[in-house]
Amino acid sequence: MADVESLSHSAICVHDLREAEEFYCDVLGATLGGRVNFKTDDAIRGRSVHGSVILEDYLLALMVPRNFMPMPPEDQHRGAHGFRHAFRVSRNRFDEITNQLKGRNIAFEGPVEHPEKSPFGQSIYFKDPSGNFLEILWRRDEEANYPKPYITGVG
Amino acid sequence: MEGISHVVIEVSDLNRSEEFYRELGFESLGPDHLPECGHHVSLRTASGQWLGLSESLEPRSLPETGVHQAYRVTASDRDVIGRKLAARQIDVHTHKEDRPSEEQDNFYFYDFDGNRVQLVVSNAESNGSGKVLAIDHAAVECHDLEWAEDFYVKVLGLAVEHRVGWSTADYVRAQLWGEGKEDMAPGTRRWDQRYTVMEQKRRIPRPNTHFFLRAGDSVLGIYLATQHRQEPPEKQIIGAPRIGLRVSRRALDETVKLLKERRFPVHGPVEHSASSPIVVSVYVKDPGANFLEICVPRD
Repeated sequence: MADVESLSHSAICVHDLREAEEFYCDVLGATLGGRVNFKTDDAIRGRSVHGSVILEDYLLALMVPRNFMPMPPEDQHRGAHGFRHAFRVSRNRFDEITNQLKGRNIAFEGPVEHPEKSPFGQSIYFKDPSGNFLEILWRRDEEANYPKPYITGVG
Repeated sequence: MEGISHVVIEVSDLNRSEEFYRELGFESLGPDHLPECGHHVSLRTASGQWLGLSESLEPRSLPETGVHQAYRVTASDRDVIGRKLAARQIDVHTHKEDRPSEEQDNFYFYDFDGNRVQLVVSNAESNGSGKVLAIDHAAVECHDLEWAEDFYVKVLGLAVEHRVGWSTADYVRAQLWGEGKEDMAPGTRRWDQRYTVMEQKRRIPRPNTHFFLRAGDSVLGIYLATQHRQEPPEKQIIGAPRIGLRVSRRALDETVKLLKERRFPVHGPVEHSASSPIVVSVYVKDPGANFLEICVPRD
């Protein structure tokens, strides 16, 4: 019924906005997007603190929750509820990225091989500092063109 | 930046305030000693930093905000001051701030004009002099914290030492304040009216976003203003209240260059007279329209 026309953005909760911005920028190569509640007008309107990072064609909003979220166990890298954000890199960079994660002591599961017929090639699964599940993979159909969503800002 | 060189605050009665600050342990240098402070009296700490009291009919003291000045004294001298304040029937507030290093320093009072003074203790043993040892830190308000951070870090070269309002831990702590279980200094917390109907409670306690910058041996606090306030006229670059930051001559020239590149209206460098305690100053306003003076004090 809604027949949504495209993805706009997604939002995750992070325990420390600054730490999350550094993680997504350093580890995933994001750039900083808009932030809210650093201006008087935001304070007057009672807006919550949130920021955003832009990952190539994807807007990821980072919300700071008022209470701590339950953290998954240290050694669990794939979500119990299955929710995670997965980002694509080209096949020829995948191994280099896996090594870089190791170099930064970010624990991960994988590389996991996907079946021959799946559009996915290999994946590694890891978490951000607030326990949000992430995945980096290469896709077998990386030559195909995907429609890019329109980036709207937060703010 | 090597530290805070001086702080200029506004007072309505020069004689009354000079006596008050002398009683705290400042050494009075008398009238009209500092450049560009209008009709004023200046006082000195043991470290050689100055407090300028500039006369104004309506002192801009902003007592309900995070704006305050913090002076360093010995623990025993602080007790003595506490008694003097009690004798003058001036309340000492024991609210707290978020910086871990201020754990022992929940000692605040207001001068006659609403300037909030904090006394922080030094590790030094008292030598009985009863002097104010130094200006420890000072805080201002800005209406755009991102712009302020960009200015203080990228243009003035200071480093952020502590942030409040960026993490869940701060939000959880603010709930304690909301429940009346933690007495926090003005400007550190606020009640937010929610604009959505999703919340059960319309009003929630939040940390008020602010951060602290290391400026040599001093600290600067930058608080988010929770109300819009009238700024001084755009063309006015020299004024009070203001914070003076101490630099070397070379750093001053570099800073002027950066400020001009970024199109910040700057006044100076102004070479003061040979009898002035300051050799040269550059005057500028930060993104919150707070008056700053970047200067080289005379040895």
